[in-house]
Amino acid sequence: MSKIIGRALKKDDFVEMPDDHIIICRCEEITKGEIRRAIYEGMYTMNEIKRYLRVGMGLCQGQTCNKLVKAIVAKELGLDMKDIEIPIPRSPARPIAMKAYADDGYMR
Amino acid sequence: MERFELIVIGAGPAGLSAAIEAASCGMSVIVFDENTRPGGQLFKQIHKFFGSKEHKAKERGFNIGKNLLNEAEELGVRVELDSTVMGIFRNKEISVMKNDSVKHFKGNSIVIATGASENMVPFKGWTLPGVIGAGAAQTMMNIHGIKPGNRVLMVGSGNVGLVVGYQLIQAGCILEAIIDAAPRVGGYGVHAAKLARIGVPFYMSHTIKLAQGIDRVEGAIIVEVDKSWKPVSGSEKTLEVDTICIAVGLSPMSQLVRLAGCKTLDDPKKGGIVPLCNEYGETSISGIYAAGDVAGIEEASSAMIQGKIAGAAASKDQGYISEDEFKARQKKLENSLLQLREGMFGHKSTAQVTHTDEGYELSHSLLKKGYISDTELSHYPGIPTEDDLKDGLVPVIECTQNIPCNPCQDACPKGCIKVGDNITNLPSIETSVKCSGCGMCVVSCSGQAIFLVKQNHSPGYGLVSLPYEFSPLPDVGDIGYALDRLGNVVSKAEVISIKKTPVMDETAVLTMKVPSNLTMKARFFKPAMKEEKII
Ligand SMILES: Cc1cc2nc3c(=O)[nH]c(=O)nc-3n(C[C@H](O)[C@H](O)[C@H](O)COP(=O)(O)OP(=O)(O)OC[C@H]3O[C@@H](n4cnc5c(N)ncnc54)[C@H](O)[C@@H]3O)c2cc1C
Ligand code: SF4
Ligand code: SF4
Repeated sequence: MSKIIGRALKKDDFVEMPDDHIIICRCEEITKGEIRRAIYEGMYTMNEIKRYLRVGMGLCQGQTCNKLVKAIVAKELGLDMKDIEIPIPRSPARPIAMKAYADDGYMR
Repeated sequence: MERFELIVIGAGPAGLSAAIEAASCGMSVIVFDENTRPGGQLFKQIHKFFGSKEHKAKERGFNIGKNLLNEAEELGVRVELDSTVMGIFRNKEISVMKNDSVKHFKGNSIVIATGASENMVPFKGWTLPGVIGAGAAQTMMNIHGIKPGNRVLMVGSGNVGLVVGYQLIQAGCILEAIIDAAPRVGGYGVHAAKLARIGVPFYMSHTIKLAQGIDRVEGAIIVEVDKSWKPVSGSEKTLEVDTICIAVGLSPMSQLVRLAGCKTLDDPKKGGIVPLCNEYGETSISGIYAAGDVAGIEEASSAMIQGKIAGAAASKDQGYISEDEFKARQKKLENSLLQLREGMFGHKSTAQVTHTDEGYELSHSLLKKGYISDTELSHYPGIPTEDDLKDGLVPVIECTQNIPCNPCQDACPKGCIKVGDNITNLPSIETSVKCSGCGMCVVSCSGQAIFLVKQNHSPGYGLVSLPYEFSPLPDVGDIGYALDRLGNVVSKAEVISIKKTPVMDETAVLTMKVPSNLTMKARFFKPAMKEEKII
């Protein structure tokens, strides 16, 4: 991250918005309001929001919602989109059945 | 664990081209794709492509994909389908999931060509069944033969929105409107004009406010936006639609690039997060290349060239071709890539272009409503003069923006059409050469922008020939309506010939008889409904 974000950044109270009920992460059914609230609760990075709410942890692995979540975080924190990093990707890059994951032919 | 000299991830145009280039230099290559069908985006593209002959222009997308696959397989490339690459680890090792098990592979070089995914816009009701991505609509129609809905709203006027909108109409849907928050149509004017003349209304500076319906889409409310993208209250319109198709851009699928640890940057011009690459497509990790949409959203034509460059570079790295040989190949490819990026939609373009490279003023009406107005038309070099029209049969080329495309020039056996060396030039007509009326230009034009006009065919009547790609194909003698460029009925029309031969690749040339004074207005034939009386 090019900017260090102070933990005390967001001081005002959370105010509900008329479009807070709109779902942003379809896979995990997380709304805009939940994401905004998480920011007010101190989750300033997308990695934190992901772990807090499971946004981007569903079927599409954030391919659809990362951009949308990023825009919300940018707006709430008054930052440039460029200064917000999307969550760190991890293997597996796609959802996978546990039985398939367990059948890893690495040693064979 | 198996080892290959080159691992390619993604069997789209970029990946297959990289594999072909590397295999032709002698490398052992394996390609993985998570799809059941190879070809990436190409396999659902049923329209004819732009570009020049070397970019496979005027071929239909899925055929380009098929040919690439054949070429790759002939060269001994192993193509593994239904195989999802899940991770890239140190020392160019990847893990692949196939049939409920995971296997690991190692490559000396890797080309990441994973393409892009569609963007979404959240609005009230966007998770209702009936709101779909344009790509999904294409998959339903062109792969599975399913009509996505009956009455559709298209959100987004880029090439994807325009092309998919046209395909929806071909599939039998009614396209109620095409909207875009931007003040200008984002895609090629020729693609927009194809929709406008069938009667599709364009609403620029409009966005979607909400989708109506309880458990499925039953309507949509659109609203105008001002210069600062704020909705203008009171400007809402309700559209009776059952499907809302979203085509608001693509984002590079860069997870694997980031997993590999390549340096990336967030570049809105390239569609989002892309790997930092050198001119050969090599990322910050030596031996890992990125090509195609994953390295920046462009087109299949440029994806193929980027793939080839990456494939050649990997071959050079591993000593299959010399530095000199590589430079020679790369130079040729680079030139071809530069050509594609010229023009008002290319890399150097801005949304503020007002004139063509030749200095003609752009059609405002085309950028706002999708059609060229009568008063603007005569400016352009592809439009015959009054005198030319008196002379007999002439081609009319309504292609008025600098796009990288020239099959019209190659198509004409007589030399009536000229684009010149610069592929983005506007096509012009050579009226000193007599047109034979063969219709090859009409069917070769990927933008369906070429018409043949004969003003005086019989007393008071003239002929207009146009490209026709709808089924059922009308019969000779059918009576219907002639529509103008904005889809309004201007007169009744009689089909006097239908020409469709194998070389025309499924595009028919329909010739209709209309009043002489309407030959420069009538641009589409609408068959009459069954039992309908036309007066
Ligand atoms: C409606 C529409 C119309 C278009 N019209 C034109 C046109 O007229 N002319 C033109 O030049 N271009 C056109 N394009 C653009 C063109 O289709 C794309 O630019 C091009 O396909 C990009 O090629 P690519 O190889 O980079 O990616 P893709 O074609 O997207 O291929 C990527 C492949 O990678 C695979 N993949 C992704 N991740 C993984 C993974 N983890 N493991 C395994 N496989 C994976 C995918 O399954 C896919 O098959 C159009 C696009 C659309 C949507
Ligand atoms: S109809 Fe045939 S001869 Fe006439 S301009 Fe077209 S390609 Fe050339
Ligand atoms: S007129 Fe020529 S340059 Fe224009 S879209 Fe048609 S084929 Fe391409």
